[in-house]
Amino acid sequence: MRTLSISVLSLALTSIVVANAYYQKKQFYPSVVYITKSNPSMAVIYIQAFICVWISGKIIKKIFFGQLRTTEFEHLMERSWYAITETCLAFTVFRDDFNPKFVALFTLLLFLKSFHWLAEDRVDYMERSPVISWLFHSRVLSLLLLLGSLDLHFIQHAYLSTVSKGASVQLVFGFEYAILITVVINIAIKYGLHSVDLNSETPWDNKAVFLLYTELVMGFIKVILYVAFVAIMVRIYTLPLFAFRPMYYTIRNFKKAFSDVILSRRAIHNMNTLYPDATPEELQAADNVCIICREEMTTASKKLPCNHIFHTSCLRSWFQRQQTCPTCRLNILRNPATVPPQRQRPPNPPNPFGNPFFAGQNPFQMFNQPNANGAEQAAAPGEQGRPAGLAGAERQAAPATTHQPQAAHAPPPFLFPPFPFLPFLPPPPMPPHNLAALSPEELLRMEGSERENVEARIQCLRNIQMLLDAAVVMMQQYSTTAILSAQMPAPHAAPNPFPATGPPASADSPKVAKVAPTTSGSAQAAPTTGHSGANSGAQASSTIDKPGTSKEEEGRGEESTTEAGIEEEIRRRRLQKFVQAQTHAGGQD
Amino acid sequence: MAGSALRRLMAEYKQLTLNPPEGIIAGPINEENFFEWEALITGPEGTCFEGGVFPAKLVFPPDYPLSPPKMQFTCEMFHPNIYSDGRVCISILHAPGDDPMGYESSAERWSPVQSVEKILLSVISMLAEPNDESGANVDAAKMWRENREEFDRIAEKIVRRTLGIPT
Repeated sequence: MRTLSISVLSLALTSIVVANAYYQKKQFYPSVVYITKSNPSMAVIYIQAFICVWISGKIIKKIFFGQLRTTEFEHLMERSWYAITETCLAFTVFRDDFNPKFVALFTLLLFLKSFHWLAEDRVDYMERSPVISWLFHSRVLSLLLLLGSLDLHFIQHAYLSTVSKGASVQLVFGFEYAILITVVINIAIKYGLHSVDLNSETPWDNKAVFLLYTELVMGFIKVILYVAFVAIMVRIYTLPLFAFRPMYYTIRNFKKAFSDVILSRRAIHNMNTLYPDATPEELQAADNVCIICREEMTTASKKLPCNHIFHTSCLRSWFQRQQTCPTCRLNILRNPATVPPQRQRPPNPPNPFGNPFFAGQNPFQMFNQPNANGAEQAAAPGEQGRPAGLAGAERQAAPATTHQPQAAHAPPPFLFPPFPFLPFLPPPPMPPHNLAALSPEELLRMEGSERENVEARIQCLRNIQMLLDAAVVMMQQYSTTAILSAQMPAPHAAPNPFPATGPPASADSPKVAKVAPTTSGSAQAAPTTGHSGANSGAQASSTIDKPGTSKEEEGRGEESTTEAGIEEEIRRRRLQKFVQAQTHAGGQD
Repeated sequence: MAGSALRRLMAEYKQLTLNPPEGIIAGPINEENFFEWEALITGPEGTCFEGGVFPAKLVFPPDYPLSPPKMQFTCEMFHPNIYSDGRVCISILHAPGDDPMGYESSAERWSPVQSVEKILLSVISMLAEPNDESGANVDAAKMWRENREEFDRIAEKIVRRTLGIPT
């Protein structure tokens, strides 16, 4: 409404000025001279010209864009303010040949620039709009054609004028239009990519990559144009201050495009080399929806080390920004599953104990051998099979744990080597030294969530259970031996397994003494139930096979009593302690 | 096919329309433009914002869901984590790169796994339990810490205003 009244007012003023001139001079030519000589009349004419430009701009906008969206309008306003300031700066450089024609040319440049911006915004909007009509396509195409041909025309004009008349303000126009034509080409390429994507039935995964490369190449051309322009301007005139801001933004955009391309390439490379494609079975097992785009995964999806599955293209665009799993934030660059851990960490991790003997060896294998021997020596012959089997189980479990690099390279605990013949102490999975020093990711990685890790943990727990059972059997064996050796009244020795834990503990080593109370704890919990009571915490499977073994041991125990010699002597000593312990326990009860 | 951001927003809109979570209504302001949404959030029960219905605007970036949307309450709000112009300051809305307050761990930042629904649920829980360390509105944070009755009184006034009840 206001613009309308302003235009009407301006039109009225212009007609008054023209009518006045014609009324005074009566003829066409003298009246024109009169108007151009009179400053107030010229001012009115200039205002009228400006309003004409404004109106024509509105009309062209209406033809090619229809209604502008709010964001488009805001962009336009923001950019035109900068452009106007820069144009005023440009005037200062060329103040010697400042004339109406010069102003008109700059206005035209600004006018065309604003349509380039609008076209850019409009084409970007293609990707975000649910409905693209044929009207949209025809508008964009014709606009691009018009802008492109105008740009070319002005470049040609600037070139010819520079060649024939030498360097002038046309140099600036030449460069400005050259940059505008790169904008037009950029928009055209984007438009082509978007329309191909819109017409295809399935999402076009590589579009983002093409867009990135377009951005990179166009950015490069623009940077070269700006640098050349500034260099030439510095040589011929002076420092073109008005070109600095756009040049800065162009260089910044180019840098961003460049790093985007690098990041994207790295992401693609990582995905192709490190992560396996998800198999149809895995897709079936999961809920089959890519959580990034919320669409079904039928083709091209990747599985990360943390077992989360996404579309390849979704992952690529995310990895361009961040190298983490979108779901669990696992840092994927630091934990590629298919690369052996050695390549990720220094090959020889520092050994805090400075002990070359242990460096790089699997601690489990080291301890298993002495354990088996120790069992042979200290335990009853019937127990021999068991620790060996356990050792085997431990060896199987070991590779699973080495999957977690931290566990694999943790230095072996210092306490173990001095006691190589502990019969019932399998080395537990090596814990890292200081859990508090580890970062959350490392802890998470060490913990592991894959099937094999869980299996390894279960296996480990089973081993511990088996060892506990073995310990109980041993105790029983000791007590039966005690009965059969008939060196003391038997009846109440067997029902109470608690004292039986004492002798092996004190006899073998102080290290066992630490473990024995834990087993005796479970025995204490149900002291009245006797033999089986000791096993109350154990699983059914182990309690089933236990009586058999204990009977067997009783038999073997009888055999061993017939054996004379050192073994007998050792037993006797143990039994003495056993009696002491029993009386002690009796006192407690 | 339309752009991936648009398809994802359409999918979320469909999901929110089919299974609306309790206390949340959200959708595009008009279906021509899926990148600007309007949401209505009810104040969580048992808090000073109980009973209120707070309108907010969500603006999505062209690269959603790789970048988080922006959320701004369009009604008057008085809360430690809401700027006086209504913008919401909550870690789920910040991309992992930027940290305006310098305290958030990257684990609670934006990731493409988040959604409009999760954002709005987080905002509801933020209404229930303000984080007075972030202090988008310092006055509100100070009052929340030191003068809870006054804070409750202002919150109640805002609730009444959103419901159109004279205070």
